[in-house]
Amino acid sequence: MVARKSEMLGRNEMPVTVYIPTPFRKLAGNQTHVKTAGETVGEVLDTLGAQFPALRQMIYDENGQIPGHINIYVNNQEIHSLQGKETPVKDGDEMAVIPAIAGGQVGALTPEQVERYSRHIIMPQVGPSGQRKLMEAKVLIIGAGGLGGPAALYLALAGVGTIGIVDFDTVDLSNLQRQVLHQNADVGKRKTVSAKETINAYNPDVDVVLHETPLTSDNAMEIIPQYDIIVNGADNFTTRYLVNDAAYFAGKTLVDASILLFDGQATVFVPGQGCYRCLFPAPPPPGMVPSCAEAGVLGALTGVMGSIQATEVIKQILGIGQSLVSRLLIVDALGMEFRVVKLRRDPKCPLCGDNPTVTELIDYEGFCGAPFPGEHVVGAQS
Amino acid sequence: MLPLGDDVRGQMIAHAREQFPKECCGLLAGVGGKPVKVIRATNSEDSEFRYRVDDRELLRFLQDCDDNGWDFLAVYHSHTRSEAYPSPTDVRLAGNWPDPYYVLVSLVDQDDPVVRAFRITDGEISEVPTGDEASA
Repeated sequence: MVARKSEMLGRNEMPVTVYIPTPFRKLAGNQTHVKTAGETVGEVLDTLGAQFPALRQMIYDENGQIPGHINIYVNNQEIHSLQGKETPVKDGDEMAVIPAIAGGQVGALTPEQVERYSRHIIMPQVGPSGQRKLMEAKVLIIGAGGLGGPAALYLALAGVGTIGIVDFDTVDLSNLQRQVLHQNADVGKRKTVSAKETINAYNPDVDVVLHETPLTSDNAMEIIPQYDIIVNGADNFTTRYLVNDAAYFAGKTLVDASILLFDGQATVFVPGQGCYRCLFPAPPPPGMVPSCAEAGVLGALTGVMGSIQATEVIKQILGIGQSLVSRLLIVDALGMEFRVVKLRRDPKCPLCGDNPTVTELIDYEGFCGAPFPGEHVVGAQS
Repeated sequence: MLPLGDDVRGQMIAHAREQFPKECCGLLAGVGGKPVKVIRATNSEDSEFRYRVDDRELLRFLQDCDDNGWDFLAVYHSHTRSEAYPSPTDVRLAGNWPDPYYVLVSLVDQDDPVVRAFRITDGEISEVPTGDEASA
């Protein structure tokens, strides 16, 4: 049979032996070795494929390319290290067509992902396994505004797999001085929609989940438990206390930041290691602390603080470095000073203290003396 | 039925422990359905979540099988964070090699590793006895 096939080959073509591994043998007439011909690897494979159409389907994908899990060898050298399909073959050469043996606990990085995230992956603190952790992570951003924007963008660029966005607002022209998720053409558009478009334009791999609603006591415990880490970009005290309490009850790490004028603050709350109420047991009287809309805010500083939040989230996901847990970072943009003060869990904290009195979500509008922002925004967009 | 025996089982567990927290992988050569040699392979993914038998080592193994009259009996790999059961990725990628058994070593409980064997055919998983379940 082999001899007969050889006779069919053109006189000028070089006979080459192809080793057929067990999974492919029934596709190749149960032969261990097939003699075929061609002047290059591509020609040999074409001849082989013409002889055995079922084998051709295993060697080539629907686009006529050799898939990544099929290795072609010429004299025990993989053709990628030679000249690929153009590798010349000569009389007496031995080729082999071997499917890889592979598997694993989670999905593989595609070559495009390896390239996209290469500047992260080459760092030993990230590596391929860290990149997969990022891709499996689910992060919720409260507010698609000044803080939530840069936080969401850098998390998306890092390849965080799922990013939830809570916002009810529409894009206003006055947002564009600092809110990088939205552009001129987005004015009047829902912020959630604009955010999703921007995020996916940067990285289409991110699953952007939209929660187009004000966060309230009624929905917080439905939304927050769906995520691993919560980023607080809320612009008002009512939402800030609600997010603090809901994240604590859901056992979620909260990466918090706030900003006004030229000043910013950031910290990380891990349940049981202090919370916003340990830092600020009660909200200020309504009207005492102005909002960004009332007092103003440096746009560039929202980028600094939002990026710090993204950095803290990435560190939490990767389990690297020292987080801002039990520390409050205070940024003075005018003096350009970064200071860190220690925080500690307050044993008398009504939420996370030894004898808590807040054991479920409360009436935050009554507690703060201000309604949740709705169509008429009480707090300014941060 | 894939009779593993204490020696083969012990060699695979030792390999998994040495590579922990990364996944290990290797190949079992057999004669008459019984393992005769455990061949450790390099995991070219070098990963906690993925394995790929080094391609050149696989080629050499296949040649060794032909030269020595061995059968390619089984592929083994470790799961460090999940049970000794094929993952969806394992099943998807097993389509290229339907004939060998797939042996999983789980180190979820480091003090009590679990070894189980499967056939993966057309995306279907069926467990096969290893002859020494009592000591599993």
